[in-house]
Amino acid sequence: MSIPASQAPAHPADTESAQRRPPKELADVSVIVGGQGGDGTLTVVDLLGRYFRKRGLYVYTSRNTLSRIRGGHADANVRACRDPRAAIKAKADLLLAFDQEAIDVARPELDADALVLYDSTSFKADFPNALGFPFATLAGGQLGQPIYKNTAAYGAITVLMGFDDAVARQVIEERFKRRGAEALDKNLKALEIGRHVTLEVPSAVNRWTLAEGDAHELILTTGNQATALGFVVGGGRFFAGYPITPATEIMEYLMRYLPNYHGVVRQGEDELASINMVIGAATTGARAMTSTSGPGLSLMTEGIGHAGTAEVGVLIADCQRVGPSTGQPTRHEQSDLAHLAHLGHGEFPKFILSPGSAEDCFYLTVDALNLAEKWRLPVILLLDQALCQNASTVPAFDLTRVKVERPSVLSAEQVAKLDTYKQYAFTTHGPAPFAPLGTPGVTSQITGNEHDEWGHVSVNPVNRHKMMEQRMGKLLWARDELPRPRYFGQKEARVGLVGYGSTSGPILEAMDLLDTEGIVTKYLQARTLFPVQQETLGPFLDSVDYAFIVEHNYTGQLARLIREEMPQYHSKLRSILKYDGYSFRAPDIAAPIREAVHGSKR
Amino acid sequence: MVQSAKPTANTWCPGCGDFGVLAAAKKAILDLKIPPHEAVLVGGIGCSGGIHNFIDINGVHALHGRLLAQAIGLKLANPQLTVIAAGGDGDGYAIGMGHFMHAFKKNASILYIVMNNETYGLTKGQASPTSRLGFEGNIEVPFDAILTALSIPSGAFVARTFSGDPKTMTAVLSEALQFNRDHRGYAFVEDLSPCVTYNDTFKEWREKIVNIEKLPGYDPTDRSAVFRLCSETMRAGKIPVGVMHRPPKPTDESSNPLELKLLPDNIGPARADIGLEHNLAAYRTLLASAG
Repeated sequence: MSIPASQAPAHPADTESAQRRPPKELADVSVIVGGQGGDGTLTVVDLLGRYFRKRGLYVYTSRNTLSRIRGGHADANVRACRDPRAAIKAKADLLLAFDQEAIDVARPELDADALVLYDSTSFKADFPNALGFPFATLAGGQLGQPIYKNTAAYGAITVLMGFDDAVARQVIEERFKRRGAEALDKNLKALEIGRHVTLEVPSAVNRWTLAEGDAHELILTTGNQATALGFVVGGGRFFAGYPITPATEIMEYLMRYLPNYHGVVRQGEDELASINMVIGAATTGARAMTSTSGPGLSLMTEGIGHAGTAEVGVLIADCQRVGPSTGQPTRHEQSDLAHLAHLGHGEFPKFILSPGSAEDCFYLTVDALNLAEKWRLPVILLLDQALCQNASTVPAFDLTRVKVERPSVLSAEQVAKLDTYKQYAFTTHGPAPFAPLGTPGVTSQITGNEHDEWGHVSVNPVNRHKMMEQRMGKLLWARDELPRPRYFGQKEARVGLVGYGSTSGPILEAMDLLDTEGIVTKYLQARTLFPVQQETLGPFLDSVDYAFIVEHNYTGQLARLIREEMPQYHSKLRSILKYDGYSFRAPDIAAPIREAVHGSKR
Repeated sequence: MVQSAKPTANTWCPGCGDFGVLAAAKKAILDLKIPPHEAVLVGGIGCSGGIHNFIDINGVHALHGRLLAQAIGLKLANPQLTVIAAGGDGDGYAIGMGHFMHAFKKNASILYIVMNNETYGLTKGQASPTSRLGFEGNIEVPFDAILTALSIPSGAFVARTFSGDPKTMTAVLSEALQFNRDHRGYAFVEDLSPCVTYNDTFKEWREKIVNIEKLPGYDPTDRSAVFRLCSETMRAGKIPVGVMHRPPKPTDESSNPLELKLLPDNIGPARADIGLEHNLAAYRTLLASAG
């Protein structure tokens, strides 16, 4: 049931005449909270997220912030759903606005039936279906501080959505218990202020009810946090990085975690220092990582090439944002893949892996550490802003699925049994095992110059030829060990989708949407992007009439990479692209597929 | 005994000042009885950076200008290693200048030797950051690493030596390495190391060097006093050498070097047990705190 805009309460004064309706049950609800930085929008989103989770719903939150410390428009979005959705809902049901700008910015994102709840202290909303309360005035008058307006507004939402009173209070207690008794008390009072004024408006009470879900055993995490956790349990002990949005949280989490495990985190003077500290640390056998975004990745490219030819296993997490140059630091894009696939001057092997969810970030980081060390090469963990910073509910991480394997690391005991130890011994099957610097009984030479098996500089053409084959051979020898894609959808579908990273969320939702219309699809979520996994992409592309490559960039970088390596599929590939800094909503992906399918039937 | 990488034949021009540094470094390592596997020499790019090939310890050939970052990463990952970074003035004072400054700030217990020959020898004699006015058309102010080092309020050991005086150099490098091995902090030694092919300054430098330690008012614990002595010596057209800063033994933990601040029990990332079994209980607690 929808509420005609003309009947909706625009202001408390208007509401007495509003008609009473049976509540609409929401099994998929999206709330935007917008205002100026400092209005406490994120707190409201956090409180709502906590309540929704207690309701057993899957939660997905995203922030839309500007690259500045204080002020400026900021909004955040929280979605709660009975189904697992890792995407922003196409249209929001409720906007909580602290100023008119919040309404103007969010307007295109609002459902036709959406309600705008706003703080009428300083403005009257220019929106047909609006409900205003002077939250700041009320909080200022009763609590002495208008800043509690955000919790008061949360109180109003608890009434609008028919929250259980006790649980709504419990959420406040959990959020503010560490802030001291006064903060907790005032927030509880602010909740009551918001509830009280809203209860006086009959049409607002239980305007919606929330469906109950069964997703109770989940954790709410971001890709950045999951990556940091995966790094620790995967044996990562050294991290160096330089602050850069949207990668910084990986460093911040590790600053908290690693000191408990004889680990080290250093903030370098720049990305050049960071990648080189990581390389230095890795030569001692420490599992080491850096994280960065586009501008930092450009600077690190020199070091990554060095790690490739010096055969030092390191992990680089690239949290993609809008580029080039400074681009849009806080906005979403997947436009580093082309650079990474053809990384650096000269030729060297590397793997590019990409997790498709916050959960996948955890496990794939462990895999990436094992692979980097075993194969003695740089591994790039390709993330993106939405994956890094949006929070989603995922199953708790399972340590029984974590394995720390070190087949390439020689212990002092193993070394003692050798006649000769060569850092760069030729093999015909894989990397030579290595003794970390400091291993008793042996010394090593590690160099980015072309070298012989001992690590001595060499310009011998026969040696150069063999060394190139030894290093580049890793791309062939490792194929069976590289992470496989995940497949979704109907096996018999003739329409395929291919994507990676955070696009998995909206892709899966778009597939459900299409499914209800009778359009059957299937999806290959690529987890190894380089070397291009022909052995998995080939059969998938063979099985469909055409495949949509879904990615956030202008030139279709993944599609081009697949075409480059697998030109025989050229005519089957179609691109769905988005490059406005916002992540896909499901209809953005469903629409072109629908059009193509119907077009092909005509 | 396992056969592993051994030093290679030297490739420097006969008479190169870098031979003095190589001999002094070898002698210092022997005198201090540092086992070869516990020592790492990280070389930069340029003639001098090849020094890691010619000495029987672990060698790392880093990227141009990035040797300090790699050396610090090595030290923090395994604080028991003796880590020496060595390169030229172009490597350290041009492309690596950012890391040069931050190494003092970081204060990890590593030794950095810059072989300063006032030119880019390997690329055949271009002006370097330390080149005097007029050398190969240089019109930029020559950089002075000692004055810069003295101006940074760090607990670093700072010295300048001359390749024409290997005995003093050996003593200085021994002291610097012992300083590192005692976890006293960063040590920086600039060696005046003439390029006999493109900028042969042996004779000139021998005449111009002044041992700062013999000047009245010399106090190696007083940076500003030594700075003044150096400035006056340079104004007189001379080149100051000697130990420029010898910090007193630290009296509290705030002056600890980076590796001790980060790793008070001296077990670093390289020696941490990363096995799952060993860490299972701690990991469970960590994961329970997430989300």
